[in-house]
Amino acid sequence: MHILIIEDEAAIRQELKQLLENSLYRVTAFEGFREETGAGSRQYDVVSEIMRVAPDLILLDVNLPGESGFDICKRLRAVSDVPLIFVTGRTDSMDELSGMLGGGDDYITKPFNPPILLAHIAAVLKRARKDKEGNGEKDGESVGGMRISYKDVELDVAGGFVRYQGKRADLSKNELKILYYLFCRRGEIVPRMDLVEYLWDNQVFIDDNALSVNVTRLRGKLADIGIHDFIGTKRGMGYRI
Amino acid sequence: MTFFHFMKDKALLLLANLIGMVLLFAFLRLTSYPLDDCVIILACWALVLLAWLPARFFPRKKYFAELEKIMEDLEQRYLLGELMPRSFRLEDELYRELICKSNKSVIERIHQIEDAQKEYREYVESWVHEIKAPITSIALACENAHDERGRRIAAENRRVENDVDMALYYARSNEVYKDYLIAETDLQEVCGEVLIKNKQFLIENHVRAEVDCPHHVFTDKKWITFIVGQLVLNGAKYRACEGACLYIFTEAAPRSVLLTVEDNGVGIKPEELSRIFEKGFTGSNGRKEGRATGMGLYLCQKLCRKLGIEIRVESEVGRGTRMVLEIPRSDFAAMP
Repeated sequence: MHILIIEDEAAIRQELKQLLENSLYRVTAFEGFREETGAGSRQYDVVSEIMRVAPDLILLDVNLPGESGFDICKRLRAVSDVPLIFVTGRTDSMDELSGMLGGGDDYITKPFNPPILLAHIAAVLKRARKDKEGNGEKDGESVGGMRISYKDVELDVAGGFVRYQGKRADLSKNELKILYYLFCRRGEIVPRMDLVEYLWDNQVFIDDNALSVNVTRLRGKLADIGIHDFIGTKRGMGYRI
Repeated sequence: MTFFHFMKDKALLLLANLIGMVLLFAFLRLTSYPLDDCVIILACWALVLLAWLPARFFPRKKYFAELEKIMEDLEQRYLLGELMPRSFRLEDELYRELICKSNKSVIERIHQIEDAQKEYREYVESWVHEIKAPITSIALACENAHDERGRRIAAENRRVENDVDMALYYARSNEVYKDYLIAETDLQEVCGEVLIKNKQFLIENHVRAEVDCPHHVFTDKKWITFIVGQLVLNGAKYRACEGACLYIFTEAAPRSVLLTVEDNGVGIKPEELSRIFEKGFTGSNGRKEGRATGMGLYLCQKLCRKLGIEIRVESEVGRGTRMVLEIPRSDFAAMP
């Protein structure tokens, strides 16, 4: 997935780029706003530039020097219906309304919380994919429905169970999320705090103690189907599979 | 204006007349006028005087009654001067002119203050929008750094953000009608976002949360997010030492949806319960904590009123606090 960032604040642009790259998106960011528009000489056309980059999704700042984000969006919509999220520091509802009416797919206000931004991006991309494929196919789910295996243990995310040597154990929602995150960072020591934050970002609002309880229960379920010592505890540091 | 007051006001005049009558009577008697004629002359005088009194009293009474009526109907009472009825009496006209002049200066002063206030509010708003850029980049940098220090900075950064938001909403709270967009709002999503936004603070303080908000309501998402955010932060601030937990859930009532934010924290003393929505009220809990500004709940209530939401509180010391938002459900919006 390729995301284009149009944002004039250099610090935000840079950090945003890194955040999205960490989340495994391919990112392009338009550079050098002030210089070009300030001189007023080289007016490169944003829309044709966007078409050249051909992103899957655009994060567009509203308050840009020169042409505003709304205007860019309006012109862009004449030629393309690429998913677009407005990002702005302004929070009045007139702005929000003009953003939605002007062809934006979503609208996020600064200061946005990074996980919330990521969730919005994922939601818009998913919606766009569904629109493209028509509603008959449930193909959008297959990405979430992937299976991961590690050390012969297979995790079925959509089905919500683990399989090991032909035996399976069903997992609760929380256990599934914990195990999924550990699978994503297999081989690493995952700090408990990272795990708790990941769970909060995914709508499971538990504390440190509840995490321990969940992990213990998870270990029990794994042991039932013959997986022993799969989740290791590094005292004072975290878990590792 | 009663007749008695009127008479009192005219006492000097009556006294002068009386003295005049006595003097005239004495003069006539001394110039050997017959007593009968004297009585007739004095009776005429008295008759004219007695006729004059009501003839003067009733039109005055009417005039002031009219003024009072105008005053009552007037929304901006300082505009009275413009609406005062014209009068043939010199005094009335002079008063009218004076009142007009005084009103004009009041109006000018009001405009001045309004302009200054508007300017200030606009400055606060633009400042808030400016400050959001650095807050955003700090939040992003912390997220990318992904370590202990980043987490601490993120938690503090979130506090800054919340305080900045309060300033913005305070500046705007008088003009909510200019700034809302009523749309179908998923309360589960709202609560989720609030918790995620404040996760560093909540996790750091070992607060668990459970969210069960399957209902959708028609309201402004931005404002309701702010309100729920204040309630969640309060719940976390005044938490119990062990096993602090927030329950956020919705229930459907016949004409509304009830959104409850419940904690198992320290609770609020009964004698303070009625005052928690007052501006600047911090209460004994707030003073102990030392971080209370007395603005959070005040703003919540103010915004709720503007949005037609009723906010209620129930609390028991040592057991916890329940904040209930009653969000009206409009039949109109539900119509196909």
